[in-house]
Amino acid sequence: MKQIKLIFLCGLLILGTGCTCRPTDPAELAVYEANNDPFEPTNRAVFEFNQSVDKAIIKPIAKGYRFVVPKWLRAAIYNFSLNLRQPVYFVNALLQGEPKQAGIITKRFFLNTFLGFWGTIDVAGDMKIPAYDNDFGQTLGVWGVPPGPFVMLPILGPSDVRDAVGYGVDTVAAPINWATDSIWPGFIYSRMALEGIDTRERALDFLDSLENSSTDYYATLRTMYQQNRQKKVNDNRSAPVNEETGEAEKASYEFDFPEYEDE
Amino acid sequence: MKKLAVLLIALTLFCKPVYAVEPAIQFISDLADKIITNVLTSQDSEEKKINYFRKEFTQALDLKSIGQFVLGRYWKMATTEQRDAFLDAFMEFTTLTWADRFHMYNGQKIIFAGTRNAEGKQLYVDSKIMNDGTPVEVIWRVRQKGDSFKIIDIIVEGVSMAMSYRNEYTAFLQKNGGDVSKLTDELKTKAQNFQLTSSDKTKK
Repeated sequence: MKQIKLIFLCGLLILGTGCTCRPTDPAELAVYEANNDPFEPTNRAVFEFNQSVDKAIIKPIAKGYRFVVPKWLRAAIYNFSLNLRQPVYFVNALLQGEPKQAGIITKRFFLNTFLGFWGTIDVAGDMKIPAYDNDFGQTLGVWGVPPGPFVMLPILGPSDVRDAVGYGVDTVAAPINWATDSIWPGFIYSRMALEGIDTRERALDFLDSLENSSTDYYATLRTMYQQNRQKKVNDNRSAPVNEETGEAEKASYEFDFPEYEDE
Repeated sequence: MKKLAVLLIALTLFCKPVYAVEPAIQFISDLADKIITNVLTSQDSEEKKINYFRKEFTQALDLKSIGQFVLGRYWKMATTEQRDAFLDAFMEFTTLTWADRFHMYNGQKIIFAGTRNAEGKQLYVDSKIMNDGTPVEVIWRVRQKGDSFKIIDIIVEGVSMAMSYRNEYTAFLQKNGGDVSKLTDELKTKAQNFQLTSSDKTKK
């Protein structure tokens, strides 16, 4: 647990070192503000690092994992690790004022734990019970905390200040991590590593395709992350209202889209 | 008995929606059906599928509006020739990007939830792609022109394609002195790489 805090602090320190200056040109400024990425030079450097680690280590391991471990076993491992997360999702659903989602999460957890061999079989999914993944970054967003600047975390990838804090809180608060801390202190890292490899394996095809199709992979990941997170927060905010104008806040995709007129 | 009655009502409501379907939903649903039958589940050659997809996709999109949007302020700075060249390259490149993802289709079905008004003559068509786990939320932003519709944006789980391309291309153009021709060349190169990798791709 101590090491996690240390990694976290280091991450925050790295952030403080590189900043882009605010542009003065209005068009440049609009882009600068929309990107919400004042630490871009540092973030891009971290991203370069992540990409090289991914190419040299993580991706080959993920490919090996796909090659060696049969599909049914990968599914079981995924289901098991997902099931271990449910208590954290449950607490966050309550904190977000979503008792109905919390109820569904509970149902899912008990069904899968007791009928699905400790979570290795997704019984609830077969019964078409929806899955939720409420995290603490989302909770903070539902409470009205803005995302803050975009952050590229080492190894973990795209995030923002709010979600990075949320990730830390979720990791420290997870009951399974406390429960195992005294018996097997390495559990938390083994779990993170296995989950990381599993996540990377499931994203292999999509991320390859995304990287091949992007002229600036960093910018693509940044905007996709930001838009998707805003949606997740908005989904659980009851009629979000813009604090400045008092009007209902629009979803991130509801921007003005001028149509082309023949000149 | 009561349950049966409810079931029967439900069946009549859901099984024959044809008579009351909103035209915008009909437009997207027809397009999805055509793509699923002739591309995603088709046994035709890769080339034939891509050609079919290109044709349908080009007809369904309002390419000029999308191009103008994704280039943002650089659209105004570009010459007509630069714009046309960009639109061609962009269209071909997006077609191949989607073609690269055809094999990820796994029998998912699409269901429609309704439409919402956007500004002007634009509509959002709400849909869900039913996956094994949780459904994926897909919103189609369409514009109406007379009786016909054109897609101007596709929003997957909150991520707008148009906005994502705009962000990406702005980043690229900022680094390349705002020269749209450089972006066009880059898209052409990437399109070629796609063709190279897809030709030696083994079917999974």
